[in-house]
Amino acid sequence: MKFLYKDLLNFLSEKPSKELLSEKLFQLGHEHEIAGDIFDMELTPNRGDCLSLNGLARDLNIFFGKVQPYKIFEGDILPLDFNFKNLSTDACPKISFLEIEIEGAVAAYKHYLENYFSLLGNNKVNFFTDVSNYISYELGQPTHCFDANTINNQLTFESKICKESFKTLLDSDINLEGKNCIFTVDNKIISLAGVMGGKSTACSSQTRKALIECAYFKPEEIISKSIKYNLVSDAAHKFERGVDIQAQEKVLRRFIAIVQDHVAIKNFKIQTFDDTEIEQSRIPIDLERVNKILGIDIEKEQYLMILNKLGFEINNNELNKPSYRHDISSQNDLAEEIARVLGYDSIKSKPLEIKNNLNENINHIYKVKNFLVQNGFSEVVNFPFTSIKDKKSITIDNPLDSNKGHLRTSLKSSLLENLQYNERRQNDSIKLFEISDLYSRADQINQERKLGLIISGRRGHNYADFSKKLDFNYLNQILNEGANQNIFTIEEISRADLKTKKKDKIFYTEVLIENIPADIYKDYKLNEEQINFIKYQPVSEFPSSVRDFSFSITDFKKYNMVLSLISNLDDDILKHAYIFDFYENKKIKEIKVGVRFIFQSVLCTLSEEEIQKTIQRLLKPILDLEGVSVPGL
Amino acid sequence: MSNIDNIEPPIIKDNLGSIHPINQVKEHLLKMLFDLGFQEVDGPEIESEDFNFDMLNIKKSHPARQMHDTFYVENKSNVLRTHTSPVQIRSMLETKPPIAFTSAGKVYRKDDDATHLPMFHQVEGIYVDKNVTFANLKDLIHQILHNLFGKNVQIRFRPSYFPFTEPSAEVDILSDHGKWLEILGCGIVNPVVLKNCNINPDQYSGLAFGLGVERIAMLKYGVNDIREFYKSNLDFLSQFK
Repeated sequence: MKFLYKDLLNFLSEKPSKELLSEKLFQLGHEHEIAGDIFDMELTPNRGDCLSLNGLARDLNIFFGKVQPYKIFEGDILPLDFNFKNLSTDACPKISFLEIEIEGAVAAYKHYLENYFSLLGNNKVNFFTDVSNYISYELGQPTHCFDANTINNQLTFESKICKESFKTLLDSDINLEGKNCIFTVDNKIISLAGVMGGKSTACSSQTRKALIECAYFKPEEIISKSIKYNLVSDAAHKFERGVDIQAQEKVLRRFIAIVQDHVAIKNFKIQTFDDTEIEQSRIPIDLERVNKILGIDIEKEQYLMILNKLGFEINNNELNKPSYRHDISSQNDLAEEIARVLGYDSIKSKPLEIKNNLNENINHIYKVKNFLVQNGFSEVVNFPFTSIKDKKSITIDNPLDSNKGHLRTSLKSSLLENLQYNERRQNDSIKLFEISDLYSRADQINQERKLGLIISGRRGHNYADFSKKLDFNYLNQILNEGANQNIFTIEEISRADLKTKKKDKIFYTEVLIENIPADIYKDYKLNEEQINFIKYQPVSEFPSSVRDFSFSITDFKKYNMVLSLISNLDDDILKHAYIFDFYENKKIKEIKVGVRFIFQSVLCTLSEEEIQKTIQRLLKPILDLEGVSVPGL
Repeated sequence: MSNIDNIEPPIIKDNLGSIHPINQVKEHLLKMLFDLGFQEVDGPEIESEDFNFDMLNIKKSHPARQMHDTFYVENKSNVLRTHTSPVQIRSMLETKPPIAFTSAGKVYRKDDDATHLPMFHQVEGIYVDKNVTFANLKDLIHQILHNLFGKNVQIRFRPSYFPFTEPSAEVDILSDHGKWLEILGCGIVNPVVLKNCNINPDQYSGLAFGLGVERIAMLKYGVNDIREFYKSNLDFLSQFK
């Protein structure tokens, strides 16, 4: 909801600055952003009563005082003899109709009405609809305007199961399904009540006689309809959150006043159909309880003053809650009212000590993870949604992606996707694991916590592992031999069905967490370091370039210096540099150190020129050393 | 070192992997709550509407219960839990106060954009005892936020709305750029929820809070796009060793 700062000031007796108004709105729980003179409110769903200037002013009354800046028609109004039938008084316990006929076209809008459109960026439609929209902004009560000449028979309201199409006043065709609140004439739907009217009965710029409907629809009857039919509806937004059940006639009187402000009225009549049952809206005054909830010690006088300013009436030992406050029913609700007005930040903290419970210090899963991390595995976390369906799969009724409408029953496909994703990003040594709960259907829903592991590529990037591959033996050695038992069944995943040119073999295993023996990690020291909140470096989306260099060292005094320079190489585009080869040729007294440079930029694909320039800069301090060279460079 | 026989091969450093950053942050939060006296409880990700909504005072008319916000499974017989609170409900039904439970794990909402994902992680806590007040809640939240963001962090409480707490609050911290950032939601446990768990609200009161793990991780690590956490990119994951 957006409002103009000056419009709200008209409803307040004091005129706070934008900053003070913003501060108090936040204090009351009304989150917002400010752009120029416009406040863009993000109200919580329980405060439908604040979705208008009048509603916000009621809440701000405690700080700035509230006035009624608008006029309403105060005179007598003739009753409307109107043929209306309400077949669902449960869904719509109260509804009023105003029939109003004007003399001619409206020449220009008064400033308050004009500003609502020009300054808040709302679109004009036609005079009656424009007044309706403005009143909703001002008082929070939606109204709907029918062209009275299009309704020639009994108007019926009902909440019923429908299966027919309907053209909205915005010209969109929607297919109504399930239970809907509708208005019909001659069994034909003319309006989706509380959401949007229909094209056939809509007002136009030619309309001179309108029928204004003003109702209280129960929130649960309207909720989700606008999303279901993809309709943007301010009325539905308000009805879903609850409007004031006592406001309808006053709103229609305001409607008359605005019309009078713009054009001569030929005649107008009103009729209300009221099937409301008297609602119990009293709450006992229990200051002690409220103080106990909040941990404060507020005096009764202040407590009553606050609630009174918020619209509560004091009636002996009870409070009558205002008809627009659907969110209030308990002492906890009243405590929140008091706390909002005092300011949450002004309530002093009181020390809390919770008696220590026994916790299992370091659990099994953490020890398994620690073991895997020390063996070079990285943990991944995947969404559980999959296209793979087996007999045990649990199906999602409303998936985000219709191609992934099931919950995975194995971690394998997720980890395989992760592996291929990293292979496409030129990663040549991949060791991943995931631990997750998996769900399947047997007689009942079955929940299992499993570990999945996948490997492929080089064993490592150091000179000892560079030429070795991650294979069955590697995995078997660290898993099964470590545990002295064959818990892990290791399988090779064929690349035949994978869209990849990679040749490295893929090995996978999956096991129930509870079946992993503690032996597996018994020799591994736990990492008990505090979490290190590093500042993350953005990951490049561009390809990397690899360059290998073989350094020949004949002056062995320079050997350590070469290693030191290599380990300290640094450049914005140098992603990695590592020694992948080491060879001592004792015959010719030469040491060879093979170094792989991987270049990558976060900004662009690197050109050969950029790479060469960087290589020259990086190599220079090493090649400046006597007895160190790169043959063939 | 002039002799080749004295040359030591380059040192091979341990090639460590990494625990997923979200799980690192989750474990960090849990450890902090253990130190404050909370005990971890666990529960299923597939929940009944009863535990996920009704017991938590989330009425049938609440927007969260609509098909566009919640994943329903097996012909609407169950839901993918939309928060970890049902775990606390299950635990409260089994234990008498005083209780101090924390639950952590994956939760699901039908969202998918740069700031929302269909799956994310929460860490929640609940404490029920005699005379637990909003002032106590504030003390606990201060302890949590001082631990996470340092003693000098500026904290703002503002009213909010959660059906399972009343009063409810959202808590913001002031960023280095002078902007208030929403960090967590909390409140006094709604007496209706206590009653649903067979706890007498005239004798006991409770406080509850919930943190979004991704939110904390994004702030602490400086990650701007939540989707980065779930690409399983080793270039990303290896930064969190």
